[in-house]
Amino acid sequence: MTTTELRREDLARRQRIRTLLGVLRFALILIFLLIFLFPVYWIGIGAFKVEGEFYHYPPVFWPSQFNFANFGRAMTVFGGTQALTTSLVVAVVNTGLVIAFGVLLAYSMGRFKVGGENMSFFVLSLLFAPPVIATMPLFIIFKTLRMLDTYPVLFLSYILINMPFAVWVMKGFFEEIPQSIESAALLDGYSRLHAFWKYILPLAVPGIAVTALFVFIFSWNEFLFALIFTRSHAQTLPITLAGMTGGHQIPWGEISALSLIAITPGILLTLFFQKYLVRGLTFGAVKG
Amino acid sequence: MAGTERVMAIEASQKRFARLTALPGMVVLVLLVVGPLVYMFFNSFFLKTLATPVPPRFAWFENYGSLFADHRFWNAFLNSMIIMVIGIPIQSALALVIALLLNKKFPGSRIVVALFLIPVMITPVVAGFEWKIILDDRFGPLNYVLGLVGVSPQAWLAQPALAMASILLMDTWQWTPFVTLVLLAGLAAIPKQVYEAASVDGSSASETLWRVTMPLLRPVFTLVILLRIIFIFKVFDPVQILTGGGPGVATETLSVLTYIIGFKNFNVGMSATIAVVQLIIITIIAKLFIRLVMNRREGTPS
Repeated sequence: MTTTELRREDLARRQRIRTLLGVLRFALILIFLLIFLFPVYWIGIGAFKVEGEFYHYPPVFWPSQFNFANFGRAMTVFGGTQALTTSLVVAVVNTGLVIAFGVLLAYSMGRFKVGGENMSFFVLSLLFAPPVIATMPLFIIFKTLRMLDTYPVLFLSYILINMPFAVWVMKGFFEEIPQSIESAALLDGYSRLHAFWKYILPLAVPGIAVTALFVFIFSWNEFLFALIFTRSHAQTLPITLAGMTGGHQIPWGEISALSLIAITPGILLTLFFQKYLVRGLTFGAVKG
Repeated sequence: MAGTERVMAIEASQKRFARLTALPGMVVLVLLVVGPLVYMFFNSFFLKTLATPVPPRFAWFENYGSLFADHRFWNAFLNSMIIMVIGIPIQSALALVIALLLNKKFPGSRIVVALFLIPVMITPVVAGFEWKIILDDRFGPLNYVLGLVGVSPQAWLAQPALAMASILLMDTWQWTPFVTLVLLAGLAAIPKQVYEAASVDGSSASETLWRVTMPLLRPVFTLVILLRIIFIFKVFDPVQILTGGGPGVATETLSVLTYIIGFKNFNVGMSATIAVVQLIIITIIAKLFIRLVMNRREGTPS
């Protein structure tokens, strides 16, 4: 064999190894994907099973017939409609309040470093603190104010959960807007507020919108505060879901149906705003 | 010196404006936070419950003493630690493998990454339900699949060690994608030239990984580990749904115990005390976060 032949053979072998590694890589990706999506699939497919299929061995991986009755019963018998309405109202109003109160504070912190590092520390500590520690003092305060089990109690208490997040993330977005834009507006004789309103805010809208989406999902998914501060009138979706296990037989079909509805907004956010997910979830530390 | 005066006037007006814009948000935060916070500290010095009509009694540090003497507190503390000490390394290693697999772009890789991330935003209560069905000892698919390979069915949620493993499994499922995402962002921020230089130097793939990639990923690892510690301190909903802290107190975390002390035992003084302790821990972590992550922004990808 000549050296060129040896070389060619060596190259061909390397090529084979590379193809093999490529196939292995995709196989691994597929396996991981299947594992991580399986729980979502399982609850999703459960929404279409009949009751017997939950108590069947071997487990039913694909129902023989798709059954939609679970949705109807979940909505009516188990109070899904009311829960859905409450969750929607609470999440929308809370998002509005959080953004309205948070935008200016975020701007002030991002642009003028109001309060300096102490302020950052204050907001971050609130962001990191386990919500459960606030439940007892808030419970007593809301009880005294006779606000328990009303919508406003959730509007207000969710501010505590979401505002530190919103302020922190929006602050990052404001920091990215070049200072020269304000300077130009100020030189043109606009007041600061006007400059903010007319020039800065429009530039910040995408960031604010993404923050609002996150706040919406956090409110939508919230469980602990709703569990403690509401009873029946202001029951949100997660509370209704958790309450469905109370009877002596657990209605898995209806739970799955309502769960599928509950997780849809979060999944949509993940699929369509993936670009911002890392930024939101790391509180702006990774811009992504 | 008309110029300096003008500059000073502008600075003063800027300061005023800065405070003015910060005001509404601050008022809301302070009202919602400082009031309850002061009330909480205050309560932690009182023997006070809502369960009996006994009037509250000032007791100095008695609550703190009983808390630190309570083995249930240490059990919950240990459980939270176990989730961190076992869960975070597993999730980091798994996430690193997945991130390396996904790092090189391929047609449809964006969609694959997006699909991977779905667990992160799943309603935590639903996550609890998902695993409750999957881990069911009689009809759950996990025991079925294990049965296919010859493992006898396990009572996942009834045995203390297995219940803890179940919590870890659920936590790993929900949060590994998040760690992956952060590591992917870290990998994307490593300049191509670094790899080119490594390959010119003739370093093998594994050498490049350990000597080049890993050191450059250190800042994102720091970030993601700190965030995971914070999230694990916070976790309540899925644990409450999956095990409720049981069997017994086997999976009771700090958050779950805080809830039980407050709203099962209605012990206001004690719940304030355990809250203060957690607040102190979180304050330290927030300080660490500022020092390790924020003040080293250059090190993190942007």
